[in-house]
Amino acid sequence: MSYTMALLLMGMVGGLLGVASNPSPYFGALGLVLVSGMGCGVLAGYHGGFLSLVLFLIYLGGMLVVFAYSAALAAEPYPEGWLSWAVAMTASTYLMGLGVCWWGFFGHTDLRLGEGQVMGGWGDSSQLRGETGGVGHMYSSGGGGLVTCAGGLLLTLFVVLELTRGLARGTIRSV
Amino acid sequence: MTPAHFAFSSTFTLGLMGLTFHRTHLLSALLCLEGMMLSLFIAFALWTLQLNSSSFSIAPMILLAFSACEASAGLGLLVATARTHGSDRMQNLNLLQC
Repeated sequence: MSYTMALLLMGMVGGLLGVASNPSPYFGALGLVLVSGMGCGVLAGYHGGFLSLVLFLIYLGGMLVVFAYSAALAAEPYPEGWLSWAVAMTASTYLMGLGVCWWGFFGHTDLRLGEGQVMGGWGDSSQLRGETGGVGHMYSSGGGGLVTCAGGLLLTLFVVLELTRGLARGTIRSV
Repeated sequence: MTPAHFAFSSTFTLGLMGLTFHRTHLLSALLCLEGMMLSLFIAFALWTLQLNSSSFSIAPMILLAFSACEASAGLGLLVATARTHGSDRMQNLNLLQC
């Protein structure tokens, strides 16, 4: 189990290394899909099933789909993958920096890949069934936060409407 | 620092450096920003799972909602850039350059 967790954590960091080296956005979106998939696995490994599924559905299925088809705005005839020179040099520089940080933190300790104390699963009714009960608080005593979120989302709708309004108002001046 | 803590901290820093040292496309800078928000979501979720504070699990949900707001605003700016300048390449955004 701890080897699986180590693999998922390394996959998460390695995936974002592939995004941060700034390849063509097609490959960047692919790397972000990998990072969120590995992140879901990490959360599931710490017994956070609800938050893991929320990440999959909302982040991967909602937001990344939008980024994936927005990559059509960045169309170029020869997309640069991770094997092009500039991207590979950036990625290897970040990897070297990451190795230095890893050595600085864990180089002198005896690293045991344990999980520590994790939140109880289905049997602990005193914790309101783990983090799922905590999310239920968002609808009862955290209702003000929920209404604020909804108001913020509505405001964002109007922000995006004004951003993409043409006719010399807002950000599009020449069309 | 546990390995999971190192993982999301270095993920955040990598995304920040990818955003800072952007190359050609505006969309790849926005993707690095999304990676930073993802690392913050995982950080909040690991907080609530490892410290047994189940009420704190509201925070990653609200963070995800506002991250969606920010992503849509960024993509609206990207669409405006592509319509005004023809593409989202950063070297086209040179109106303030001397």
